[in-house]
Amino acid sequence: MKVKSFVREVNWKAYILLIPTIIIFILFMFWPFAYTIFLSFYDWNMVSPTKEFVGIDNYIAVLSDPITFKVFKNTGVYILILLVINLCIPYVFAYVIDIVLKRWKSFYKATLFLPSVISLVVSSILFTWMLNPVSGPLALILQQFNIPMPNWSKLDGWAIAILSMITSWKVFGYNFILLYASINGVSREIIEAARLDGMPLWRIFFSIVIPMSSATGIYIFIITIVFGLQYVFTPIKVITQGEPNYGSSNIMYHIYHEAFVLYRTGHSAALATVMMCFFILLLIFEFRFVERSVYYEN
Amino acid sequence: MCTMKTKKGMPVFWHVIIISTIIILLFPILFALGMSFKPLKEAYNDTLNFLPIPFTLENYHALFESVDVVKITWNTFVIATIITFFKVVTAFLAAYAFVFLEFKGKKILYFLLIGTMFIPFAATMIPNYLFISKIGLGDNIFGVIFPQLSDAVGIFLIRQSMRSIPISLIEAARLDQIKQRHIMRDIVLPLTRPAITSTGIWFFILAWNEYVWPVLILKSVENYTLPLALQMFISSEGGTNFTVAMAVSVITLIIPLSLYLIFQRYIIGTFASSGIK
Amino acid sequence: MHAIQLKNIQKSYGNHEVVKSLSFDVRNGERLVILGPSGCGKSTTLRMIAGLENITDGQLIMGETVMNDVDCGKRNVAMVFQNYSLYPHMSVKKNITYGLAVKRVPKKEINKRLSEVLTMLELNGLENRLPRDLSGGQRQRVALARAIVKQSEYFLLDEPLSNLDAQLRVSARKELVKIHDTFQQTMVYVTHDQVEAMAIGHRIAILNQGELQMIDTPENVYHRPKNTFTAKFIGSPSMNLTECDYHDGCLHFQQQQLKLDNNWVNFLNEKRRGRLIFGFRPEHFTLSYRKENNALQAMVQYVENYGENYGVHLEFESKEFVILSNLKHWIKGDTVYMVPNFERIHLFNKLDGINLDYPNALKENDLPLQLNEAK
Repeated sequence: MKVKSFVREVNWKAYILLIPTIIIFILFMFWPFAYTIFLSFYDWNMVSPTKEFVGIDNYIAVLSDPITFKVFKNTGVYILILLVINLCIPYVFAYVIDIVLKRWKSFYKATLFLPSVISLVVSSILFTWMLNPVSGPLALILQQFNIPMPNWSKLDGWAIAILSMITSWKVFGYNFILLYASINGVSREIIEAARLDGMPLWRIFFSIVIPMSSATGIYIFIITIVFGLQYVFTPIKVITQGEPNYGSSNIMYHIYHEAFVLYRTGHSAALATVMMCFFILLLIFEFRFVERSVYYEN
Repeated sequence: MCTMKTKKGMPVFWHVIIISTIIILLFPILFALGMSFKPLKEAYNDTLNFLPIPFTLENYHALFESVDVVKITWNTFVIATIITFFKVVTAFLAAYAFVFLEFKGKKILYFLLIGTMFIPFAATMIPNYLFISKIGLGDNIFGVIFPQLSDAVGIFLIRQSMRSIPISLIEAARLDQIKQRHIMRDIVLPLTRPAITSTGIWFFILAWNEYVWPVLILKSVENYTLPLALQMFISSEGGTNFTVAMAVSVITLIIPLSLYLIFQRYIIGTFASSGIK
Repeated sequence: MHAIQLKNIQKSYGNHEVVKSLSFDVRNGERLVILGPSGCGKSTTLRMIAGLENITDGQLIMGETVMNDVDCGKRNVAMVFQNYSLYPHMSVKKNITYGLAVKRVPKKEINKRLSEVLTMLELNGLENRLPRDLSGGQRQRVALARAIVKQSEYFLLDEPLSNLDAQLRVSARKELVKIHDTFQQTMVYVTHDQVEAMAIGHRIAILNQGELQMIDTPENVYHRPKNTFTAKFIGSPSMNLTECDYHDGCLHFQQQQLKLDNNWVNFLNEKRRGRLIFGFRPEHFTLSYRKENNALQAMVQYVENYGENYGVHLEFESKEFVILSNLKHWIKGDTVYMVPNFERIHLFNKLDGINLDYPNALKENDLPLQLNEAK
């Protein structure tokens, strides 16, 4: 009888199980990703049969375009607002609901998460109507106090603020749940010991809970940036299309805009590559940090 | 446990804050529900009052006359179901390999796959669009499906759940000469069913709500999905179709919302236990 | 024949050597206990026999076959895990029969074996319960039942009783011995509990840091420890050990000396020896307030109550010794005398910790030990 080593036998079985995943990811993730980088060195309009190699001209064109800088600046503003609403506030909420409060925890968890299941197109439409500057409910309330509702979708700063808010409506609960779980994992004994020592709650939050849940905190920090910018794409596309004059556009929307509105695939691909470099830096930062804090927890 | 001493007002203060947040979060949904059952004139005159009095179904009538809602809902359902099925099955198989089997390149492959969660759609959008058009799936509901399959979240969530199975269970089965496919079917699958269910529900909701790929690929209204159709009813200047827009919003959100309400415990549990390690 | 032979078995994870060139036999039908402190490689050894770990180097022979590369399912071993690893979603009945059903053993046969084992382990009436609805002892019995129904030639147990409370552990090990006497498989049992090892094993293999220290009957392991590790590890409170030199018929400690009897003097005079380690068990010397002839002087530190007797902690030339006594009246700071029993002392080489062996006269008198060796 021919005997086989268990490990060797398992080896090929693992690859069989992974084949569907690998094929899908090569076809729709790795190859397209590489091809985007390839396209960033060519001048092409997506229709013409020939692509012209232009070296780093696309990068130069994109990075010397004042619109790009406006978009970068907007992106920075989006990131800031999203981080405040979707990292800081859920962090505090998660702490309060898990540790300070004793009642209605599961009700709070369930309802805070609820908007996360609703389409961003739906929320874009709902908020468009609710924030209608003439007849929306908020405008009516402000009228009572003689405050005029700004025509936000046409104003530079306002558009970004409102679009971030619409996105946050969806993202808030998801981040909250992950942070809640992480805080829930902090040893109760440590917190009780701190309480017995008479440590105030805000102090427990800053000096025990945040350091001990920092792995998740960093993770949420990253996904708030990476996913948040992608989520904002939908309200931008649905409501403002980047108006007024790129005033509400962010990097994701601008990449889309260059490719599918202006048909400048080279510019679009170059922007996408620049953005990915930024994200990869974030990712390295995350792996470093998470690795360290996992070590720390052991 | 020691009894905690906090200032008396503290919990009340926080309850008020959280409940106010919840009211703000839920208001848009109630607003849409109420307005969609209100005649346009009444709705438009006082947008603060969203109680559906007088009650009417005329918005839904108008909606069904203007677009083929049934066809669009069906498209959305078919796309979401197929995506969910494939994503869950492939994620289950991959997660099984990552948790229970040893093979060369395991770490690097896992790192590569999980790393793709951080690649935004914008970085793969053009080639995917070109590829889908090239294989003749432009403006076809199946063209929407493929780019959405490359999502590592499922591998991550299901792997996390599988890792909580004690390895000695698998070893006990191996000592009994039980084949891999039986271990998978009789031991791992039943024990990870809650995670698989909630991952599946989550995928269904994601695919149901997907906007980017439909907007890139679908051109004709008859192939539209609900979020795409919804877009036709937007107009921030206000206008005649306000209540109809609310009706189509309700139709779009009702399925994910009901799924969530039914499987709420599972879904929260899976995300809560997913952690990041 | 279903003996197990380990020949220079070695296991390393990367550069870390967990098991270092291990060789011993498990005889057909024997209960062999592998005993050692945690991290000594005992579980790894068992898992290599089971086929759950690859063998880095050496040869594993079971029956007549080299098993190194045989898939664990084909080794015909049954194993009980420390955490029982019952399938949490399967009923007791399903847990016990699942392996047989997948292997397509006829239904009739499965039911026969099932009812046998249920009766034997007093699990009747629990067939349809899930593991989470069972007590710890019941779970342990189900795990045992699952291993027994396989009717394998080899029966491996990895600390199967360590999750039970003390009382249950005693009855469970009695049951285990009874079951083994019925089936007579070749059994390898891993534990860190020496009482359990003594109670269960025909022979005990003592491991430390991946190396075999001694393999012998429980009696020999206790009375004839091969080296200082075994001497110290077996017995509670553990053996008192201290360094000394031998010359002129006496053991010379730092200040005091002990005159040996003729058996030992003759024995030692024939031996090549350097510096020695002298050892005796707390239960074998007696204490006295009176200054005895040829006794060692020490000072009482404190007295520990063990219930049936007292452990008197003493300071002997800046070493701490323990002697068991039936009396409580020892007072801290008092000077006392330890009265030796030369039939029960041990001498080891300082250099390698190996036992010098014992005078022949002593060995001949040791009837119980001889009987056991002959067995």
